[in-house]
Amino acid sequence: MVERFHEELKALKKDVIDMGYLSIAMLKKSVEALRKQDLDLAKWVDSQKTLIASKDSNIEAKAFQLLTLHQPMAKDLRLIACSLKMITYIARVGRYGKDIAKIAVELSDKPHIKKLVSIPHMADIVCSLISDALLAFEKETIEPIKEFSERDDDVDQLRYSIFRECLTYMMEDQKVIKQCAQYMMVSRYLERCADHACKMAEKIHYMVTGDHIEIDIKSIT
Amino acid sequence: MSSSKKTQNPEPIKIKKVDVFYGSNHAIIDVSMDIKQKSVTAFIGPSGCGKSTLLRCFNRMNDEIIGCRTEGEIIWNNINILDKKVDPVPLRRRVGMVFQKPNPFPKSIYDNIAYGPRIQGVNDRKTLDSIVRKCLKDAALFEEVGDRLDESAMDLSGGQQQRLCIARALAIEPEIILMDEPCSALDPIATAKIEDLIDKLKKKYTVIIVTHNMQQAARVSDYTGFFYLGKLIEFGETKQIFEKPVEKLTENYMTGRFG
Repeated sequence: MVERFHEELKALKKDVIDMGYLSIAMLKKSVEALRKQDLDLAKWVDSQKTLIASKDSNIEAKAFQLLTLHQPMAKDLRLIACSLKMITYIARVGRYGKDIAKIAVELSDKPHIKKLVSIPHMADIVCSLISDALLAFEKETIEPIKEFSERDDDVDQLRYSIFRECLTYMMEDQKVIKQCAQYMMVSRYLERCADHACKMAEKIHYMVTGDHIEIDIKSIT
Repeated sequence: MSSSKKTQNPEPIKIKKVDVFYGSNHAIIDVSMDIKQKSVTAFIGPSGCGKSTLLRCFNRMNDEIIGCRTEGEIIWNNINILDKKVDPVPLRRRVGMVFQKPNPFPKSIYDNIAYGPRIQGVNDRKTLDSIVRKCLKDAALFEEVGDRLDESAMDLSGGQQQRLCIARALAIEPEIILMDEPCSALDPIATAKIEDLIDKLKKKYTVIIVTHNMQQAARVSDYTGFFYLGKLIEFGETKQIFEKPVEKLTENYMTGRFG
């Protein structure tokens, strides 16, 4: 029974990681859809929302079943507790991907006001944060999440610079307000995804060490 | 060691370098720990790890085992209770014990509880009545058996018998209650009642419990000691031991990776 439990625990972990990579794919492709004004890609992201939601509820059900049947302790308990929190953050990232894809559709009728550079760059950093969190979770080590606070600061700075840039464009030309407001929204969503990655890192730190930490998440508004 | 010496925050019971031998078998190896009074301490570990042996040191039950030898000290209220000069009989009046299988006397419910006080010279019926009533209430049994105290204790259910044994232990007004796997012969409902009872008992008594059920240790105890091959591997607050054990051995045992 103990062996079966540990096999099931491994499977649970794999499910969480798979869900995590799905959320990264949704986020990446939504920003790509926005950049390239690619409606098919945006549709693909939208089509994944039910899949990620079902992964969320399936993993939750499996975790509850493991808790009930095996009453785990120590690091096994921490792994399940961490998984339950992780899937909530991952599901939120997926939802933001879907929201960005929706904006990509809305902004597809006319060309961007300029080539999008900062937003894809921001998305790259956010996706690397999430994938490093998943790596730390998989390997059960805190090495990949050690500099999350600084990396999150970079994301915040980028969001602020996008905000200022958009503000300048909007003051210059009222016709771009709709587009710029959406760019600002996308940068806000990406910044929230980085915060979710930091929350994942906090839970992973607890899972690995048993100690709770708080990653200093500074939001510049 | 009289009950009048009970204080609000008594000194912990200090176990100092205790070794127990059964002939040539070294059953407890150099165990030192402080047991906080008026709290529940659980001893856990795989079979044969020495947890019950250590428990029996507190009322010198090991003295009854031929070939058993104990070294070291257990300091309780400034007295080393392992000292051969300490008479185990009055010690056992202060240290009640509850065993794995309920062992009521083949007497009435009333006489089971009145047995201890009578031996101590209490014969006044009114006093005995009030002791029986109080102990049954403290052991959460009064509501179930209060109207049939003259019936045989042997007719009670297993869970009721075990609570009767706890009530019987309480009747001699002990300060420490030792429990050696008190729920392992009981069904889940009876177990839940005993666990609730242990939680109440710690307000007045120092409870030390040996259990194989780790979830039970996690539920009822404030402090937990993990034993392995006669050694105390880890001892600390129960929350820490079960959520974040420091020692790899403890973690492996908790997570079922051995034991």
